[in-house]
Amino acid sequence: MAETHFGTVTQVIGSTLDAQFPEDRLPAIYNALRVPVERVVLGETVTEELWCEVAQHLGGGQVRAISLGSTDGLARGAAIEDTGAPVSVPVGEETLGRVFNMVGETIDGLGPVGTDARRSIHQESPRLSDLSSKTELFETGIKVIDLLCPLVRGGKGGLFGGAGVGKTVIIQELIARLARFHSGYSCFAGVGERTREGNDLWLEMQDAKIGDTGKSVIDQTVMVFGQMNEPPGARLRVALSALTMAEHFRDQTGADTLLFVDNIFRFSQAGSEVSALLGRMPSAVGYQPTLGTEMGELQERITSTKSGAVTSIQAIYVPADDYTDPAPATAFTHLDSTVNLERSIAEKGIYPAVDPLASSSRIVAPEFLGERHYRVARRVQQILQRYKDLQDIIAILGVEELSEEDKILVNRARRIERFLSQAFMVAEQFTGFPGTYVKREDTIRSFEELCDGKWDHLPEQAFMYVSTIEDAARRAEEL
Amino acid sequence: MANRRAIVKRRKAVRNTKKITRTMQLIATARFQAAMNRAIATRPYTDRLAELVADLSGVAGDYVHPLMEVHGSAKKAAIVILTSNRGFCGGYNVNVLKVAAGRLAELAEDEIETDIYMVGSKGTRAFAHQGRDFRESYTHFGEKPEFAQVEPFAQDLIERFVTGEISAVYVAYMHFYSPGKQAPEVFRLLPLTAPGGPEASGSKADYEIRPSAQEILDQLLPASVRMRLFQSFNDAVVSEQIARMAAMKAATEAAEDMIKNLTQEYNRARQSQITMELLDIVGGADALA
Repeated sequence: MAETHFGTVTQVIGSTLDAQFPEDRLPAIYNALRVPVERVVLGETVTEELWCEVAQHLGGGQVRAISLGSTDGLARGAAIEDTGAPVSVPVGEETLGRVFNMVGETIDGLGPVGTDARRSIHQESPRLSDLSSKTELFETGIKVIDLLCPLVRGGKGGLFGGAGVGKTVIIQELIARLARFHSGYSCFAGVGERTREGNDLWLEMQDAKIGDTGKSVIDQTVMVFGQMNEPPGARLRVALSALTMAEHFRDQTGADTLLFVDNIFRFSQAGSEVSALLGRMPSAVGYQPTLGTEMGELQERITSTKSGAVTSIQAIYVPADDYTDPAPATAFTHLDSTVNLERSIAEKGIYPAVDPLASSSRIVAPEFLGERHYRVARRVQQILQRYKDLQDIIAILGVEELSEEDKILVNRARRIERFLSQAFMVAEQFTGFPGTYVKREDTIRSFEELCDGKWDHLPEQAFMYVSTIEDAARRAEEL
Repeated sequence: MANRRAIVKRRKAVRNTKKITRTMQLIATARFQAAMNRAIATRPYTDRLAELVADLSGVAGDYVHPLMEVHGSAKKAAIVILTSNRGFCGGYNVNVLKVAAGRLAELAEDEIETDIYMVGSKGTRAFAHQGRDFRESYTHFGEKPEFAQVEPFAQDLIERFVTGEISAVYVAYMHFYSPGKQAPEVFRLLPLTAPGGPEASGSKADYEIRPSAQEILDQLLPASVRMRLFQSFNDAVVSEQIARMAAMKAATEAAEDMIKNLTQEYNRARQSQITMELLDIVGGADALA
């Protein structure tokens, strides 16, 4: 580690602070600063270390830094240390099964991590020539995702949705499905979401076993949390911490690595809070002017290289269900596969509430999926699109006024709509249905037969939360 | 927020639709009055004729007129289905077709082949789509069925029945009870239901018949069949207009609701855009100050 210098805190504004350093010993941008802070916790005075990151040089030896923890108890005049290097986090096999905070300290109460290997959270994105160009479908066993917006192995998938439509449930379901059958490592970044959910996930991962190896999922997973309770600085950087650990696995071990981020919107939101505190002029909708750059710097690092693949799945909150909001809009462009969750579908009681028309994937093309899958996916979308077009007519004039062809189509569309629902493994205790894994082959066949009208005679209810089409037929008999 | 232009466009379209449905509701109301007057005007005649037939057949003793004769030899029947030529009348056609299909299924179960006489283009299209064959399909009856139009049709049915080609004729239509109540029904036109004698009709008239009951019945019965068929045409037309009135009223209201929702959505979108722009301006001005 480089030589350290001391400065003095001269100003504290919320979660940013200014410090005075000797003019010739200015800490570089992104350098980590460290200051001991005395706090009263439950009547006892404890000294904690507060980490900050240099964000601006104000001139005259002044630097402005983002605090990565709470600034409670910090006073002007405190001595602040320049560590001479950016924030780094422990990396390597020893980190597996552990839970960290944004600066790489363990928070699972199991003591310090047994490794000295560390890596700076600020890294260059991989060079163009190092990028891998493989394109392969990543099967999830979730019908609607595999059929209409398949994930890409080594690519990025985004789950967009407003508040309370099921983003976190889907991401946890994907962890349960993918991590369980995954041979490599998984990293989870909890960014600005509920702390409780992080805890639930941690406990769940301890219970879940990988395949039949007897190992817990948590043994192959690193978790990094910077949840809602953390100051904006921590929420802004926590995704980078998790990503750094994932990058290490990719570069050093070459293993396939999964990176789950919940929720990338909080990253943008934290960036906007920090930006305001740093005194930058707000841009569209009050976001930081550097929104696109920040998102780009993060997303460009989440890539597969020739040495290994990182498959990332990110939940993206959509404020007020407005997809044109700059934060989700900037995230859109970076993704291979977008899964849009729609409130109106959730309101019908259909989960996962994936919007089959708005969701898409880069690989929905015959050369990646095969002619049959592509054709079925498009047919399903055509039928649903036609149904959507007819919706106004149905709302005004009633279904009776449709032509005979359209009536059949509407009936079929309603069945397809319901058939897109599926029981989840993580929701088993709530729904009472065991989670189902549907092979892509079965999914395609089922939807093909549905589109052909082979199952128009089954009651609509039979299509809810079933796996394959044969399962729907069985359910119909029970009804 | 959704694209404001798109909302405006959609609202305009719904408004136009509403104008149409509202107009159709008014037209249907006017036509309903005319049709009801016609249906009510013919009803006393039809009813009286039926009474007369009942009375006379009671007096005629053992005589069984060919139109009343149940001959089960021919495994063939005919069904006349009265539907509309025009749409926008809600479940009217669907309901008539449903009872008709129900009767057809019953007949098929008894292994009786049924000729379908379909009146109205809507029913024709629906049955054609189901892959059923028609003997005839008519679209010329229109909204003011004339007795002169119905008569040859009835005559044809009578002839086929009398020659024993078919053993029964059914009519499926929307029966008009009152402006508040109509119900899809199937009745048997032929063989004429044997009336229960003079007591049944409640008439105690003592008839003296010249030249004979038989000769009078020969005249009266075909007239009664024609009249009953004509009456069902009239009923069907009234019911159709009532159904259209109700359907168009519901459609107009649905359109109004939709316009209300769209307006709300539009206002919200507009408001949030204004707020957003204000925020941008104020934010920018503050930052420069």
